[in-house]
This record gives sequence, C-alpha cells and structure tokens, in this order.
Amino acid sequence: MQDIHLTGFGLLSPELVLGAVSLVVLIMDLVWKERGSSRLGWISLAGLALSSFLLILAFDDSVGQTAFGIVVVDKFGNFFKLFTCGALAVVVAFVMGDQRERKDRIGEYYFLLLGAGMGIFFMVGTNNLLLLVLGLELLSLASYALAGFHKGEKRSAEAAMKYIVFGGFSAGIMVYGISLLYGLTGTLDLQVMAGTAEGVGLTRSLADAVMTSPSTVALAMVMILGGFAFKISVAPFHFWAPDVYEGSPTPVTTFLAVASKAAGFGALIRFLAVLFMSPDVAAAVGTYGLQVGHLIAILAAVTMTLGNLAAVRQDSVKRMLAYSSVAHAGYVLVALVAMNGEGLQASMLYLVAYYLMNLGAFGVLIYFHGQTGKETYESLNGLGRAAPLISISAVVFVVSLTGLPPTVGFYGKLAVASAAMGVQDGAYAWLVLLMLLNSVVSLYYYMRVAKHLFLRDSDGQTVRPQPAMAALLVVFAALNVIFLLYVEPLEKWTAASMDLLLIGR
Amino acid sequence: MALEAYIGVSVALFALGLVCIISRRNILYVLFGVEMILNAASINFAAFNYFNGGGIEGRVFVVFIIILAAAESAIALAIVLNVYHLMKTVKPSEADFLRE
Repeated sequence: MQDIHLTGFGLLSPELVLGAVSLVVLIMDLVWKERGSSRLGWISLAGLALSSFLLILAFDDSVGQTAFGIVVVDKFGNFFKLFTCGALAVVVAFVMGDQRERKDRIGEYYFLLLGAGMGIFFMVGTNNLLLLVLGLELLSLASYALAGFHKGEKRSAEAAMKYIVFGGFSAGIMVYGISLLYGLTGTLDLQVMAGTAEGVGLTRSLADAVMTSPSTVALAMVMILGGFAFKISVAPFHFWAPDVYEGSPTPVTTFLAVASKAAGFGALIRFLAVLFMSPDVAAAVGTYGLQVGHLIAILAAVTMTLGNLAAVRQDSVKRMLAYSSVAHAGYVLVALVAMNGEGLQASMLYLVAYYLMNLGAFGVLIYFHGQTGKETYESLNGLGRAAPLISISAVVFVVSLTGLPPTVGFYGKLAVASAAMGVQDGAYAWLVLLMLLNSVVSLYYYMRVAKHLFLRDSDGQTVRPQPAMAALLVVFAALNVIFLLYVEPLEKWTAASMDLLLIGR
Repeated sequence: MALEAYIGVSVALFALGLVCIISRRNILYVLFGVEMILNAASINFAAFNYFNGGGIEGRVFVVFIIILAAAESAIALAIVLNVYHLMKTVKPSEADFLRE
C-alpha cells in the first residue's frame, strides 16, 4: 500500500499476460487462417495457465495498490481471478471439444473469452467505481458478442439482441446510480466513502450522506444493486437469463453461468463488504431501523423460488440449467444475508462448489448435444447404456446440484445454511427452511436427467467416443466427490482469501 | 447556475430515456434510450464534479462514459444488423424463437 503509483505495475502481471495472449491469439488467427485446428485453443490455455501460475505464486505476498491506487491487489481479488482462470480454461476446453462448434475464425472466440476474463480481473480487483464499471462493461461487451457468435443462427442472434438490450439498460441504470453516489460523497473510491481511507479534496463519508439524505442514498443503492443483480441474474433482473442461456452457444452459456456470475458476485461482495460492513455506515443505516441483510434475504427468497419453479416446467435440459443457475444465485445470496466474515466465506465456498458441479453439468450437455443434436430430456433416453461413464458423471453432477451427499454441493449448502443461521439468533431460519424446500423441488427436475439416462429405453442412439472430453468430465465428477471428503483445502483457501478483503480497515 | 438546474436536466433526460426504453417496441429506440440514460449520468458527473470542487474523477468518468457508449453502440448495431439479416425485423417481440 506504500507504493500506489505506477512503480507497482508488476502487480498487474496476470492481467498483462492475459491481455498479451488474447492479442497473440487474434493475430495468429489472421496469420494461420486455418480451420479445425486446435493450436489457438492450446495457446489460450497456455496463457491462462501462465496467468494462474503468476496468481498462485503471488497469492500470499502480493498485496497492494497500483495505477494510482485504482487497482487493488489482494487475496480476495486473487481468489476470483484464479476462479476465472479455472472457469475460462474449462470453457476453452469445451470449445475445443464441442462437436457443434463452428471451426472457422475460432480465434475470435478465444480472443473474446480472454478479453472478458480481463474485464473480470479488473472488476474484482478494484475499490474504485470507475474501474468497476469499465471492467464490468469489458466483460459485458465481450459477452454480447459471444452470445451472438453463431451469426447464421436465429436463436443465437436473438439471444445476443436480448442480452444487449437488458445489459445496456442495466448498465445505464447502474452508472446513473454511481453518479448519484458520487454527487453525495464527492469520491468514487469505496474506502473513502466508507470512511476507512483518506480522500482527495472535498469528500464526505457515506455515513454522513445516509444521515442527511437517506432517500437519495437509497435510490442510488437500488440502481447500483440493480446493475449487479443483472450480472448475477437475481430477480427481478433475471428475465434475460433463460433466453440468453438457451440461445447462446453452449460453451458461452457455461461461461455466462459460471465465470460471469461469479465475477458479479465478487464485485458485489466487495461493494457490500467495504461499504456496509464498515461500522460507521452500518450504524448510520441502523438508525433508520434497516439492515442490508433484510433486503438481500428478500431477493434471495424470491430468486431461488422463481428459478426453481420455472425450472420444473422445462423440456430442454439447457433451459432447465439456465433456470437452475438463477436458483443457485439465490442460494449464494442466502449466505450473504449474514453480512459477516463467515457469510462471505460461505458464499465463496458455495461458488467453488457451483464451479465444480455446473461446469460438469454443462460439459455433459455439450457432450450429449454433440452426439444427438438435441437438448431435450427425451434425447438423453437410454444413453446410460451407450455411454456409462459420462452418464454416471452426469448423475454425480445433478446430485451435487441438488445438494445431496456425497458431493461438494452438499457441503456448499451446509456452509450457506450454517452462515445464515448463525446471525441474530436464527432470525433467518425461515430463509434456510425455504432453501431446503427449494432443494426438494429441484430434486425433481435434476433427477429427471438421471431417469431419462438410465430408466428409459434407447432409440438406438450410438455414441462416438470423445476421450478428451470424457476424461475431463470424469475428473470433474471425481472432484465433486473428493472435495466433500477432503474439504479442508477449500476452507483454508476461502478463509485466507477473506483475510485481506477488509484491506485498510 | 445552481446545481439544481443541472440535476433537473439530468433527471429529465433520464426519465425520457426510461420512457423511450419502456414504451417503444423498436430495438433502435431502446438503444437510443440507453444512450440518453448514459448521457444523463454524464451531466450528473460533470455537474457534481464542478460543484464539489475538487479532483478530476467526475470529469474522467464522463470521458469514459462517452467511450463506453460508443463501444456499446458499435456492438449493439452489429447485433441488430445480424438480427435484421436473419429475420427481417428489428422488433424484439416479432423476433421470438426462444420459448417462454
């Protein structure tokens, strides 16, 4: 923190590597002009590996600020950057293994994915609302283009159109909210707003603003939280999710459901934690008899219920997974109602579990979609015999998504529930109960996948083996089970990441 | 002029943008509406920066909003053009292939 000017630029090396590799991919795509080669995919994977290596290398000691204090490097940010690298690597692998993916100009695909990754890096690694918006927009703009990547397909085009309409709208609202917050406090830095750091010029803490003009602060917060809610597909900003998830190419859907959503949560958690967990602001909000936790609890309840009830009615597995990812956003919010260290750690644990189970589920979808050409439950009929290994993995993933043992999904739900129960003498017990009821509902539609795979007769579908994809999926299924039995590293990792979120406190 | 005058213009522009997004069926008008909301935010930033009297953060934000709006329009128009090529319409309600 001593070194806030450009001299600390080395701290940005993971971002610089990602940016450089994305440019290399773009240029080599133009130079090679070849179809059906996976060379560009391997370059992207190498770049992601190098970036993760730098992040892991510096996980313990690279803490500080650079670029005039705008970029914050801490363990919390590094956690989400590593998460993003991991998710992007799997998505790139999916693109390489997807039978249905278009093969020409595939370099653009990787370029956009890496660009979106860089947006996430900046978004989760800053306390400055300007850089937060820029990172979020870099992610969003790349996602819009990715959603419409299959240019000749009506569904893909429509998904991109819906995405950019809702996305542009919510970004506009969010920027307007930030402008109000800037007007109230005279700064864009979250820590200065929270009163935990010294600002430049005439600034005022958010606590003062809450006392003098509560309604404007409330309006600004609703607008900003609306922007976040769009990114993490929380009700009432989730309408885009099913359509966009269904119409986009499946690897892009995977990216949106896992990496983009986790990035939204990363930025949201930092925003809430820095502002509302500071004693001054919490006390000021408390004088009106309000708590941020209550608002989050309501959003969580509505989101998971709507997501689950809608998921029951779907015939398409892809659309079911879209609604299920809305429901899972609700579960993560349940952990955040606690608004304490334990709650934040539980939400991060849940996101890791979500990473393992959802990437696997989408991988199975890509695998079978490549074979059958369809995404309905019926198209899975009898595939349990044709592809037993993948089908067993699929069952592990859906069990994990439901939150039953022996999978990491169970541990994630347990952590979330205990965090929410632990505050205010169980005032949020109703929310935990609702979460359990929702899990029971979700059992129905998740188990339908297993039913169609194993209990229905095949219509003579044969499966061409895809060893690389199959191996990846089996590894993910194994990880789902292993991390329940051996959960300690996850706990240590998330706890360590929590440490420095409260930097400068 | 007082700060209130600037805020008044900004709120009016924001409201017009919102109405434009909600009431129009044509996607191009929706995009216009988004631009108006972003510009309303720009006015806010510039005005607050002037009256808060310190730093350049607000003015920097305005410059970046202009860049953002340009980038977003470029991608949005490319997507809309593609939709028009495929479906011969730019109204979201008519280009509806994804089931509810």
